[in-house]
Amino acid sequence: MEPEPAVGDGYLVARARDGYLDAYEMLVQRHSAMAYRVALRLCGNHHDAQDIAQDALIAAWQNLARFRADSSFSTWLYQIVTRRALNKVTRGRGADLVDLLDEAADPVTGPAAQAERNLAVDAVTDALAALPFAQRTVVVLHHFEGLSYAEVAEVTRSSVPAVRSHLFRARRTLGVKLEEWR
Amino acid sequence: MTGPVNEPPAGERAVRHLLDAVTLPCGADVDPLLEQVADGHAADLDAHQRDCVHCQAAIAEFAALWAPVAEAAASPVPAPPGLTAAVMSQIRVLVRDVWYTLQTTNLGFIRIAARIVAALARDTARTVPGVRVAFGRSTHSKIAALTERATFGHRHPHAAVGVLGRTAVVDLAVAVTYGDPVHEVARDIQQRVIATLRNQVGLQTVAVNVTVDDIFTDDDR
Repeated sequence: MEPEPAVGDGYLVARARDGYLDAYEMLVQRHSAMAYRVALRLCGNHHDAQDIAQDALIAAWQNLARFRADSSFSTWLYQIVTRRALNKVTRGRGADLVDLLDEAADPVTGPAAQAERNLAVDAVTDALAALPFAQRTVVVLHHFEGLSYAEVAEVTRSSVPAVRSHLFRARRTLGVKLEEWR
Repeated sequence: MTGPVNEPPAGERAVRHLLDAVTLPCGADVDPLLEQVADGHAADLDAHQRDCVHCQAAIAEFAALWAPVAEAAASPVPAPPGLTAAVMSQIRVLVRDVWYTLQTTNLGFIRIAARIVAALARDTARTVPGVRVAFGRSTHSKIAALTERATFGHRHPHAAVGVLGRTAVVDLAVAVTYGDPVHEVARDIQQRVIATLRNQVGLQTVAVNVTVDDIFTDDDR
């Protein structure tokens, strides 16, 4: 296989919209690891994460016509993955991401058992799972995926001050959990 | 949250005490300090922090507390093998990727998926110097319509190629590298793709429509 040419996601999206399936396949190859990784960190187990990633990538293709060209494909995919993870975690209660912030903690049971992970990373996984979904989402998007506050706000359809405030609370909760573990 | 920390207790409860507080004795807010550490800027002290033992102590505590999170974030999580293949195979079911009869021999039919023909055309196009990327798909020409009828009404809206018997029409979308003569690159693509489909699939009549829709400079790489 020749080295992958460096064409942008926007070009691939345009070709995929024209019906070139292999252009979409290239997008899937680029972004499937991200979709799985985010889903895994949000829902805490491999099987759900695989389902979410797969469904999200298919849904993205089915809705390519609705994709806004002024957005980035990855931001859009983050949106789809987080929505689907929310649905999985809340079993279709369909609450809004931001609304969930004020709900009681919605811990994910049974975090992924990965033998190679060390104890500190396991503690982080447990602490993350103990966060309410909205706080977990902003932590995963900002601290794990490296998205800026503005990007997190776009993904979660929220505002930068709201994201920052969610992160303030989430970091304190994570800190308390990690301190218990130390 | 209990307000300012007046006498931070020594030892292991110090961090917990910090996390329950709103401000430090110096008046600094706790949340921005934790944010600073969590965003990887523990060492970027401002003018106040450089002279403040409370801030420096809190930053040091938070840095130790947050280290496992940074470590977890940095640990790679590869996609499960087969994820891309599973996604694409479901999408192909959705677009009803059909099989086209190419030949009837005395031993039976030889059928090759239209998307295989398109993939061969695409991969051949990518070997042409000056081609940065190429994609193959169906054509909506008359022959594609004929093909749909010829294949007993199978619809194939996103077909990679129109194939009827030993005749095919291939659409290629191509992005080329800046500086190469575009028409020569396109002509080269047509000739190579026609040769490949003749030699590897036995298609005798092949029309190759080449659309050059972008030009990349080496800076794009």
